[in-house]
Amino acid sequence: MLILSRKPGESIVIDGRIVVKIVRLDGDMVKVGIEAAKEVPIHRQEVYDEIQRNNQEALTAGRPPLSRLFAKANARPHSKPDAVAAGR
Amino acid sequence: MTTAELTEPTTRQSAARDIIQLPLGLLGFENVKQYVLTANPAEEPFMWFQMMDNSKRAFLVAPPSRLVPDYRPDISDDDASFLGITDPSDAVVLNIVTLRNGDRPTVNLRGPVVINRRTLVGKQVIPNNAAQYSLRHPLAAA
Repeated sequence: MLILSRKPGESIVIDGRIVVKIVRLDGDMVKVGIEAAKEVPIHRQEVYDEIQRNNQEALTAGRPPLSRLFAKANARPHSKPDAVAAGR
Repeated sequence: MTTAELTEPTTRQSAARDIIQLPLGLLGFENVKQYVLTANPAEEPFMWFQMMDNSKRAFLVAPPSRLVPDYRPDISDDDASFLGITDPSDAVVLNIVTLRNGDRPTVNLRGPVVINRRTLVGKQVIPNNAAQYSLRHPLAAA
């Protein structure tokens, strides 16, 4: 990993099109500003990781029948977890 | 493509299919940029979001209005701009459902797929208020 020392207000240019600026130091927090085209996705790593992991879990091999899981007559799931027990 | 075709599959007897472009893919699946959204009335309100890469892999999705009525994702200006959404009524929100063996399905409220209903271009976004929503919101079986 390339490690560079920067002061607040200084920047790093990546690939001539992405600018990462150290905006401010605030205790143990670093405020970072990023300038990039809107086609460049930028995510906090932990958020990216959890969502891509959830996507992996959600992926199914095909389109399995839903009838087992969702009764057709009741295609309106309830959002309250405790409402489930009565239905099962 | 009309609103009714994307969000009200019950009005038809047969399945409706729309081709959705995701220029950035889904997180973790950045290379798959075309999906088919299939809405079958018998499975309503759920729909299948299937990869157009011959793998037949698919995600089960649903509009949150039927699952979590008080869900109000705050889409960032950058994402709205990327999708060309100028009015909230242009946006179709779909949440990815995870089927779990022997356990209740969950729905991801933290990373919804937002689609511009006029262009059928979409993106998996992280809403500004994502932290207040669950990645694995349990769905009650009816």
